[in-house]
Amino acid sequence: MILIRCPYCDEQRPEVEFVYAGEAHISRPQNPNLLSDDEWAEYLFIRKNARGVHYERWVHAHGCARYFNAARNTVTDKILMTYKTGEPKPSVEEIAEAAK
Amino acid sequence: MSSNQHSNELTIDQGVVLAPVLTGASHEVSVVLVPERARFSLRVKPSNLKALSEASELDLPEKIGASTLASSTKILCLGPDERLVVSDVTSGGTLRRMFAELSSQISFSYADISHRNVAFEISGARAVKLLNTGCPLDLCLRAFPVGKCTRTVFEHAEITLLREGEYRFYVELWRSFAPYFVRLLEKAVKSR
Ligand SMILES: [Zn+2]
Repeated sequence: MILIRCPYCDEQRPEVEFVYAGEAHISRPQNPNLLSDDEWAEYLFIRKNARGVHYERWVHAHGCARYFNAARNTVTDKILMTYKTGEPKPSVEEIAEAAK
Repeated sequence: MSSNQHSNELTIDQGVVLAPVLTGASHEVSVVLVPERARFSLRVKPSNLKALSEASELDLPEKIGASTLASSTKILCLGPDERLVVSDVTSGGTLRRMFAELSSQISFSYADISHRNVAFEISGARAVKLLNTGCPLDLCLRAFPVGKCTRTVFEHAEITLLREGEYRFYVELWRSFAPYFVRLLEKAVKSR
């Protein structure tokens, strides 16, 4: 069982309490009317599918019920760090520091 | 659980009826259905928490996982802006009127969820072992001290767990999950 640190509860909690919620840091375009179909499709469907560090959303569904962000290595499945929604995307250095 | 207790009659109002189970439980652990309670889901932004605490004279816990208890009213902080208030039915009426009054002065929301949940009290020396048959949390006293509460899971049911004593837990869950929950407990007690 993987333990995930919820940044709101500030605790390591069992994976079964969490639900994955897709790639993080994707903001909805301010004015969708100005977008071409391709640009809109890009926003809706195109994701990084990174090999390595991936920024993603999780929700502590059976806990505090909050959404938060995580940086996870998709090769090792190790969750390197978690942080609150609205906080800036951490740099590779910050992630390495947090994962120590 | 001894068979002469009224609580053995696990009949829950609002249409959920449980067979009188858990009769096989030893004195080391007992599971008792808590009588009807009033419940409110209270949502208030951290910036309004103090004002609401003062105006309502309720000791609203600030930190996730913290709980307070005053006479018959338990208040559990389950999320950054979420508190569960559980009281006896009579106090519930008073709380409901007070929340209605205060809602014109302070920005917060309250929803009456009295009949959504049922509660069980699980106590005894083997209470932790019994809970851990379905709940993955570390329930040792250091990790989960008296007064701590949280939403978590018991097998496939979501539960709200509060430790009221070293050997005493208060568990709430949606009433439709109650038969499932009790059957699992019964099985765990019997198979030890
Ligand atoms: Zn949480």
